[in-house]
Amino acid sequence: MTRRALVGLGLPVVLIALWWFLSAGSTSFFWPPLSAIVAAFPRTWTADPILHDVLPSIARLTAGYLIALAVGVAAGTAIGSYRTLRALCEPVLEFLRAIPPPVLIPVIALFAGYTGATTKIVTIALGCLWPILLNTVEGVRSLDEVLRDTARSYRLGRLTTLRQVVLRGSSPRIAAGARQALSIGVILMVISELFGADRGLGAAVVQFQRGFAIPQMWTGIILLGLLGVALSGLFRLVEHRTLAWYRGLRQAEREV
Amino acid sequence: MSGPSPTRNPARRLAVAVAAALLVGACGSGGGPTSGGTTEVTVGVIPIVDVAPVYLGIKQGFFTAEGLDVKLETAQGGAAIVPGVVSGQYQFGFSNTTSLLLASSQGLPLEVVASGVASTGEQGEDFGGVIVRADSPIRSAADLAGKRVAVNTLKNINTTTVNQVVRDAGGDPSTIQYVELAFPDIVSAVAKGDVDAGQVVEPFLTIAASQDDRQVVSNYAGTDPGLTVGMYFASRSYTSQNPKAVASFTAAVNKSMEYATAHPDEARAILATYTKIDAAVQADLVLPKWPTTIDRGPVQRLADLAQQDGLITKQPNLDTLLP
Repeated sequence: MTRRALVGLGLPVVLIALWWFLSAGSTSFFWPPLSAIVAAFPRTWTADPILHDVLPSIARLTAGYLIALAVGVAAGTAIGSYRTLRALCEPVLEFLRAIPPPVLIPVIALFAGYTGATTKIVTIALGCLWPILLNTVEGVRSLDEVLRDTARSYRLGRLTTLRQVVLRGSSPRIAAGARQALSIGVILMVISELFGADRGLGAAVVQFQRGFAIPQMWTGIILLGLLGVALSGLFRLVEHRTLAWYRGLRQAEREV
Repeated sequence: MSGPSPTRNPARRLAVAVAAALLVGACGSGGGPTSGGTTEVTVGVIPIVDVAPVYLGIKQGFFTAEGLDVKLETAQGGAAIVPGVVSGQYQFGFSNTTSLLLASSQGLPLEVVASGVASTGEQGEDFGGVIVRADSPIRSAADLAGKRVAVNTLKNINTTTVNQVVRDAGGDPSTIQYVELAFPDIVSAVAKGDVDAGQVVEPFLTIAASQDDRQVVSNYAGTDPGLTVGMYFASRSYTSQNPKAVASFTAAVNKSMEYATAHPDEARAILATYTKIDAAVQADLVLPKWPTTIDRGPVQRLADLAQQDGLITKQPNLDTLLP
């Protein structure tokens, strides 16, 4: 475990060292030395911006992501379970999926308001929805028919079947979709703040750029990257626990 | 590579060069003379009413007469044009005055080469102003205190000038909650009631008026009757290496602005070639002033306001920024 952690840290350390030394004597205004960026970090991200920019952004991301997860799994399970429903919905889903949420922001704003959190949360939820929804549909559809029949012959209730058979059986696919949705969510968190915002991590980065505070701009970009790493780690932790049975199953299959 | 001189270490120099190239896409041709004795220059502009004289001047041949072959490239705003000018992608650029002051204050080596656009100085008859819905309780600049006001860029010329007219009217500008939206969205957001007021420039003032919106205050004219809202600029390395091209550009821009001032109908007509403006709006909109001289007073005033509102911590050096 410690060896794996060391290997995982190896490349970032090498890259950071390269960046540090190659940029050390840089006089380019838009490409300041990494030392200047690091020095700007504590000055830039004090209590006020963390409270009013970073945390609201993370809160909106969390809200949008969880909405997408709930709607995506619920709708995906329904669509995946009934062939007629699937045939009805498929073309519409493909159509909606092809529209990038950023172009919808002004349209969403017409309904949800130009300012405030609603439009931003809806934008994030809409972008995160598709990978979760489509993966859930596939996961539910590819469930073994024998499993469903067994559940029926054992007279498992509908709810028990749904929880223990359908959702559990398709959870590896759902997890794959949820992982994709996470990275999309971070991107949309930033994009949604370029419109009708005054505070937020994405809005802050753009304002630094416009005010020609370039080292501060880089600190914001690095912070976004760190946020992505942290979220990915958190996701892995949750996945590790919820899919423990699946890992055990795979392990057993490999040993046979 | 025309840009800041990297260090003598070749590896480092390569890294900086690669980084700079990645950052700006490509390095420009540097505006060298071409066959036929003309100099090719690329100018970064924002497709708004302000730069109509340049489009008109190219059509009238003022730039060719000065030996310049001008290529215009449109960008979103000063924040995008300034890096383009510094990297040599553009030889000249247009930006609002406050953005130039911010860049100078941060130590970017820029030099203004020509005036760009200025307030008409008339309250209610300027090319920029604050709009509210017809039924809004906001009657004067002082009423904007404590309200939600939309601007196209936070912490820039529009917030500092709106703050100033509110301050002058006896209101407390620190209570205004600014929200950033693009100009077309500001008109919709005001109509919808999402924001209490919005600061827009032409043609959106005229569009808003056609939707029965009211103008509360002209924030540029109210800040200074001769407010220099935007200017044309170049990087200091370009101006020191190409004094002749800069002199030609300045002369051609000034001639274009004089022509546009004398022929407002032609200035209106040229708008249709680079913007999507409705014909009725085009006939009604208030044209800005296009002065050929740069008045230092209003520029200093904008710098003072930027410092007062905390956009900059130290004053830019106007001696090196202005010609």
